[in-house]
Amino acid sequence: MELIIFYFKKLFKILRNEVLVLPSRVVVGIFFIVLLGLPLITQDPYIIRIVILTSIFAIFAASWDLLSGFTGQMNFGHALFFGVGAYSSAILNIHFHLSPWGTVPLGAVVAVLAGLIVGIPCLRLKHTYLALTTLAFPLILLGVIIALPDISGGELGMTGLTRITNSLLGNYYLHVVTFLVLAIIMWKITDSNTGIIFHAIREDELAVKASGINTIFYKLLAFCLSGFFAGIAGGLYAHYMRIAGPSTLELSLSFTVVIYAIFGGAATIYGPIAAVFILFPLLEVFRIWPEYRMMLFAAVVLIILLYMPEGLIHWIRDKIEKECPRCKVRNVATRKTCRICTANLD
Amino acid sequence: MAEPLLKVEAVSKSFGGLKAVNDVSFRMEQKEVLGLIGPNGAGKTTLLRLLTGILKPDSGSVQFKGKELVGRNIWNIVNLGVACTFQNMRPFRRLPIIANVMVSCLSPRSHGKGEWIKKVETKAMDALEFAGISDMALEKASVLSQGDLKRLEVARAIASDPELLLLDEPFGGLSPAETDLMAKSIRRLHKGGRFGRLHSEGPAMIIVEHKLQQLMKIVDRIIVLNFGTLLAEGAPEEIVNNPQVIEAYLGKGGDQ
Repeated sequence: MELIIFYFKKLFKILRNEVLVLPSRVVVGIFFIVLLGLPLITQDPYIIRIVILTSIFAIFAASWDLLSGFTGQMNFGHALFFGVGAYSSAILNIHFHLSPWGTVPLGAVVAVLAGLIVGIPCLRLKHTYLALTTLAFPLILLGVIIALPDISGGELGMTGLTRITNSLLGNYYLHVVTFLVLAIIMWKITDSNTGIIFHAIREDELAVKASGINTIFYKLLAFCLSGFFAGIAGGLYAHYMRIAGPSTLELSLSFTVVIYAIFGGAATIYGPIAAVFILFPLLEVFRIWPEYRMMLFAAVVLIILLYMPEGLIHWIRDKIEKECPRCKVRNVATRKTCRICTANLD
Repeated sequence: MAEPLLKVEAVSKSFGGLKAVNDVSFRMEQKEVLGLIGPNGAGKTTLLRLLTGILKPDSGSVQFKGKELVGRNIWNIVNLGVACTFQNMRPFRRLPIIANVMVSCLSPRSHGKGEWIKKVETKAMDALEFAGISDMALEKASVLSQGDLKRLEVARAIASDPELLLLDEPFGGLSPAETDLMAKSIRRLHKGGRFGRLHSEGPAMIIVEHKLQQLMKIVDRIIVLNFGTLLAEGAPEEIVNNPQVIEAYLGKGGDQ
């Protein structure tokens, strides 16, 4: 009993000293609690469905950020990984009758292979050429899929996939918890040794090579990791919507994910996730005026990017938090002195 | 005879019609400090780039401790123990200074098994401490002045624990006071020893430099390049008095 109280006190101390001192951490905490507790408030199938789809696209946007935001390998064909994940899950599920618990990870593995296939030719390319090359890959796969209607269902796509679970709550928690776990894994990757090398590759590849780092390995690693997470998102999407269609490979999906990531702030992981959780429900809200829906969406994105070129989340974070000039620890904007080194913040 | 540390044999490289490095051969012993001088455009930087694998020579061979370097990747060469600094320093401008050094600490050569990010960070901090910019460790690299960038290069070089260090104009653009400091830290680095968690045997060095006065105090031997060919080789005193070298730098004496 004393042990439990001890750990409870320790937890409380961490909460008070580390989490509650920064508004951004409080927001993340509230986000977790709201996301996990939402079914207690409402069990409206429509809202649940929106949150599930938002979580899936948040995984997808974060995986783009892992590749393009961090290593700077501009990928304008990220839908490829999503589509490969979705289609391979669908093919395994429909033609081989595998359970969704097997098809989603296997789909992700196939997406890793797709990452290798895209990554190897892209090793030689930079900037616009890289972007154009990556743009071509989903279009090639789309052509293949339409050319093989017996296997892939052609333009209609493959319908009738089995759902992972049929209960509303089961589905909700499955997707939301997967999203939270994958988001934490991605954030941890970017916060590790590997993440620093990814950052450095974006800044100056030759200097990284001259530091003795095998950049080919790390660039391919970025493609594979990104493909893995996007593939999981694709597989989940296919099983949730019970369809894997050509829309999962479309250009619009590739560009939407870029918009999400830039809107939220690239090279942060939490930026794109927050952007998806803002923009995706916003698109649903705009259904009130169906004629102007996409126009309003574009206007919002444009205004945000015009005034906050670093991304919305960066902008908000800089408003509510200040960096201590001496020890670089973040503080609430209302504080006069740094909470660690008591230096003057102004 | 013992295996030399570095053996460069008949290395040539041309850019189009220009022979930047033409049939250069020299040897280096363990722990030797070699000065590489020559007028502008003599091919000094090109020669360094050939040694580190950034450029591939058209012909010739470079052997480091008996291993051929030509045809290897840059990172393989660095992991064998040949580190280089850039003339126009190439920091990761938008990353904190400590992250710049951590990248060097993460190369397979200096990155031990099971060293997680905290350990790497302390190692990088020691390298910065050595170079004397540890107080700015968390600033972005873009705020650094020319002199501090040079020190950052030194920190990066020591972090990768080289056996042969190639310094491209370490005193370039430095004030006299900064030059003295830099010369001091180069000599300290050459002496070797333990710097916090970093250990250095004291690498051999090739220093490309124009400030001859400072260079003479550090180096054991000097190589002079002119128009891509080896003009002279010898101890600093010999080189200063070599008429060919004086001619290459100043031109022929006119009629008195």
